[in-house]
Amino acid sequence: MCDMRSRTISFTLNGRPVTAEVTPHQNIVEMLQTQFALFGARESCGQGLCGCCTVLIDGKPVSGCLTLAIFLDGMELITIEGLVASGRLDPIQQAFIDCGAFQCGYCTPGFVLMTKALLSQNSDPSDAEIRDWLSGNLCRCGAYPEILSAVKTAARAIKRAATG
Amino acid sequence: MTETNVPAKQVNRSIPRIEGRDKVTGRAEYAHVMQVPGMLHAKIFRSTVPHGRILRVDTTAARKVPGVCAVYTSEDVLRVIPNPYYGPAFHDQPILAIGKVHFVGEPVAVVLANDPHVAEQAVQEIVAEYEELPAVYYEVEAAENKVVVHDELKPAGTFADLKHLKGRKGTNIALDFGLRRGDVDQAFVSAAHVFEHTFRSQKVLHLALEPFASIADYNDGGVTIITSSQGPSFVRSEIARLLGWRENRVRIKVPYLGAGYGSKLYIKMEALAVALSMLAQRPVKVALTMEEQFYTITKHPCTLRIKSGIDKDGRIVARQCTVWWNGGAYADVGPRVTQKSGFTASGPYDIDNVAIDSYALYTNLTPAGALRGFGVPQLAWAYESHTDMIARALGRDPYEFRKQNLLRDGRQQATGTILKDAAIDKVLDRIAELLAWSSPFDRGTGTVRRGRGLAVAIKAVISPTTSVAIVNVAADGSTTLYCGTVDMGQGSDTAMTQIVGEILNVPAEAIRVVPRDTDVTPYDMGTLGSRSLFHMGHAVHLAAEDANAKIAALRRELGEPEGSNTPLPELFRKKYGMQAGNIIGTGTYRPDYIPAEAQGLTPNATPFWMIAGSGVELEVDTETGHVRITRLITVADVGRPINPKIVESQLSGAALMQLGFSLFEKMHVDGGQVTNASLADYKIPGIHDVPPVMQNETVEAHQNNGPFGAKGAGELGTFGVSPAIANAIDDAIGVRLTELPLTAEAVLRGLRAKDNRPLGDV
Amino acid sequence: MIPFELIEPSSLEAAIAQIDPEDPQVRPIAGGTALTLMMKGGVFRPRRLVSLRKLGPSFTQISAGPADELVIGAMAPLSALEYSAEVRRHAPVITQAMRRLANVRVRNVATIGGALAHADPHMDLPPILIALGASVDIAGPSNERSLAVEDLLTGYYETALANNELITRVLIPPQGAARAAYFKITAGSADDWPALGIAVVLSATGAQVTAARIVVGAATVKVARLRAAEKALIGTNADDKTLTDVAEAATSEVDIIADIRGSASYKRELLHVYVRRAVRAAIERNGAPRV
Repeated sequence: MCDMRSRTISFTLNGRPVTAEVTPHQNIVEMLQTQFALFGARESCGQGLCGCCTVLIDGKPVSGCLTLAIFLDGMELITIEGLVASGRLDPIQQAFIDCGAFQCGYCTPGFVLMTKALLSQNSDPSDAEIRDWLSGNLCRCGAYPEILSAVKTAARAIKRAATG
Repeated sequence: MTETNVPAKQVNRSIPRIEGRDKVTGRAEYAHVMQVPGMLHAKIFRSTVPHGRILRVDTTAARKVPGVCAVYTSEDVLRVIPNPYYGPAFHDQPILAIGKVHFVGEPVAVVLANDPHVAEQAVQEIVAEYEELPAVYYEVEAAENKVVVHDELKPAGTFADLKHLKGRKGTNIALDFGLRRGDVDQAFVSAAHVFEHTFRSQKVLHLALEPFASIADYNDGGVTIITSSQGPSFVRSEIARLLGWRENRVRIKVPYLGAGYGSKLYIKMEALAVALSMLAQRPVKVALTMEEQFYTITKHPCTLRIKSGIDKDGRIVARQCTVWWNGGAYADVGPRVTQKSGFTASGPYDIDNVAIDSYALYTNLTPAGALRGFGVPQLAWAYESHTDMIARALGRDPYEFRKQNLLRDGRQQATGTILKDAAIDKVLDRIAELLAWSSPFDRGTGTVRRGRGLAVAIKAVISPTTSVAIVNVAADGSTTLYCGTVDMGQGSDTAMTQIVGEILNVPAEAIRVVPRDTDVTPYDMGTLGSRSLFHMGHAVHLAAEDANAKIAALRRELGEPEGSNTPLPELFRKKYGMQAGNIIGTGTYRPDYIPAEAQGLTPNATPFWMIAGSGVELEVDTETGHVRITRLITVADVGRPINPKIVESQLSGAALMQLGFSLFEKMHVDGGQVTNASLADYKIPGIHDVPPVMQNETVEAHQNNGPFGAKGAGELGTFGVSPAIANAIDDAIGVRLTELPLTAEAVLRGLRAKDNRPLGDV
Repeated sequence: MIPFELIEPSSLEAAIAQIDPEDPQVRPIAGGTALTLMMKGGVFRPRRLVSLRKLGPSFTQISAGPADELVIGAMAPLSALEYSAEVRRHAPVITQAMRRLANVRVRNVATIGGALAHADPHMDLPPILIALGASVDIAGPSNERSLAVEDLLTGYYETALANNELITRVLIPPQGAARAAYFKITAGSADDWPALGIAVVLSATGAQVTAARIVVGAATVKVARLRAAEKALIGTNADDKTLTDVAEAATSEVDIIADIRGSASYKRELLHVYVRRAVRAAIERNGAPRV
């Protein structure tokens, strides 16, 4: 008895229920790129160290390149493409633009999603907390100082919007 | 349409980068993740020996793996490209190894399949046998020519100064550049003090987060290559040359580039992708993994011996530099590094007698090429450490000693070129000011000691190079810019729109920049060496002015009174009867240049000088050697910045990248094998490595021959970091390190050696 | 990665039954981070993976046991430990160490059982667990047993587990008034695998140290308890002279291995320095400061 064939999984992708045929060895990034034409999550280091493949599963950031797609069954998956609600940028994305918190942009979706997860669980993180949280995301262009500013700017903007 | 709220100036404005939305939404496309219908995936089988004759490559088992479409070696490549050697300076690099392999990781064979996993699996089934040959890894040893990497040198003919090397055998020296000014031997004899030191820097690499990727789609009519490249024009001309085609049958498209830092230049995967597409008669994608980047292109490790003669008044009267550049198995752009940076090896100092010998060496390692700084960080590592050591040995303040000897405008640089618009003085002074250099500094008395250091450096922009730009004004007045400079995050697109906007008097944000596509974007030498803002900036400026001139001509043609401000769309309607037509302005820029003669001297070495320096404050844990940078200062002369915020991010980003090269990055090589070819074992700076205080500034300056007084900024932040740190370590604990990286272990070994309690060897 | 079979049993017994003890190409998969890396690197080519994700909530629970021991389900992700109030109450040294352990994404997925079964000698958690006196409950096809974590980790990526045995729980005895510290020393970038990890858990009455466990990670073939160092410390008041003796004992009793993060001589120096610093930090109740 051997089950190496594709299996159909059902999950929620950026708020929509979807299904996908995946083989056991496919990772989430491959599935997103080949089956859903979503390229914001990118495999770069391939070892879960750079964060370019970050996606949110049930709100928690994971490395898409190290997660077997088959484990998505029944879960909620959010990619960078899911952040733009009805065409409007998420305040975090706007903050990254305003602070110039990117250069080549390859790592940017990862940083934005990590920030989304952070601010969802901690609306007013300290500098130290932000650094610890983002220590697993690499930016070879070195935009870390601007990214730090963007996270703080986003936190303030979200707070302002919440208090009206 | 009229723009009523146009700010007075478009330049010197910190407008947000124009591509921001694409990047933060993940919509930006990069070659590494792009797909072309019907494409095959390529996986590469690589050499496991550093130097050897290929006895056989057995692909039988690989071909039998289900799902494999084809397996190719150089035998197949030769059928479609009879002379498959490429390179900017030497045509020495084969598309797939022919007869010999010259470094571990050299591509030997390729598997094509619809599924990249299948291709990878099949690569494991390929077997190769080599007759191993002796290998050489160290640059100084390579110069002795006892073990020779290549049987014969093959200069490309693109550079006149390499022609004399054609056909040479029995040597690893790909270029020897010499500069002689005055008489160093005589000056050393009469000097009051003579100092000589040797410095070494290590093999590191760019590690752009988007690894190399090229997708080639060949048919008899032409070939289209989507590729991650900083220089699409060169790719086009080189591929055309390899195929024996007119250039206009080759189309190079560059989507967003996930960084390059100099790695994605000349030919990387493009020629291989084309050959494979020709053989398979289908589009082929060659996309490397992060690990494979270690087998593609790196920085030049360097040994530099530097000797200075000082007179009794503390003036540097002579400086002799011997530089050995470790170019790896293929020359790539190494010979250019050797010469174009070589001639600044004596540093930003006013020295009457200078001798420089700069050698590009072949070794059996991954090829070395251009990496942000183009050799200047290695040179500055040596000369700014050396200059500091001299100052300390003479009991002089390192800042004052530099100030006494600094080059100033109006004086001759080592090549004999008179310095113009090079604010070295201002940069050095500002670094010292930010460090509060004249104030007492508490170095501490406990196990943690503190120190500070500074360094200042000079670079010449590579010359001569050409840039062409097109500005297209549509019938509604909207403007589109076509230029081949690749924006890889350094903000070139944004800066160019600001220049065009300034000339055409439209907001920069309203100008569209077309993605790079050699079918539409005209020639550019390449996005490298901090040349684009100046060269393409001029071309863009000229193109916008040409468009303006044509608009003015249109006004006159239509009989508009002098000084009329009839909106542009109305002019088009008047001329064509409807919203139709274009006004197209073009601009071409190539600076003046006088090539160096035999002694390496020339009165016009470069159209502009890059000047930058660093200041560092740090702490050293004397029990562990651990260094903590508490302040990192970068000061630069960029003329008048077109976009100050982008300039600042370039200074900062470059400094952080160089921090990694200074403190911990190193490719570990054992018997020619890279033993840390992954991000798990080759660490690059993360957010916790950012010093608590970073200050990035530009000095008040104006580049008189630059577009709106500006010049390049991309590399500046790299120059002074390494020596400033070593100088600060010396300041803190009296230990002088002469080899990079400056790891905690290296610092502790230095401390213990000084205390006569040396650490064990292993 | 080559195709393999994936099975997702919903009970421990079913999971164990699926693993053929003689077939190295059949392995259990927990969070999957370590295993996926090995598969991508071609180091491990599975025929079948037995997922442990659906064994049930008891395997992810973190709670206090009847004797106030800390009971952690083997499938609890590291992030659950990081945010657990029970863990913070019992062993705040774990909570503090989590800040710099791997990264957020790995912690969301990697499990404590998986980490221990992987037995990578560079990890942060094993030295801490050993210093806390932790043990594991193990289930096999026909029996259950317990092992001290110290005895579980037998060698370089080697454990005392049979191929078809699974860790079910990790137990940490009540710590009472014991004080703990963990130092992670990195040699490359600030965020890296440790070049050296030192965990210290000690008890003191007044100024006198009455009990101590000192454990080193990342510098030896497997995580090592420094018993001679412990002996040199117990019964003393940990003054400077004693700490030097403790450090000497520590560096003499283990075989330090060089790697790209440091030569053996250098790591020995680090051990010497950080044994002292970690003991001092534990005594002063500084917790687990990062370096």
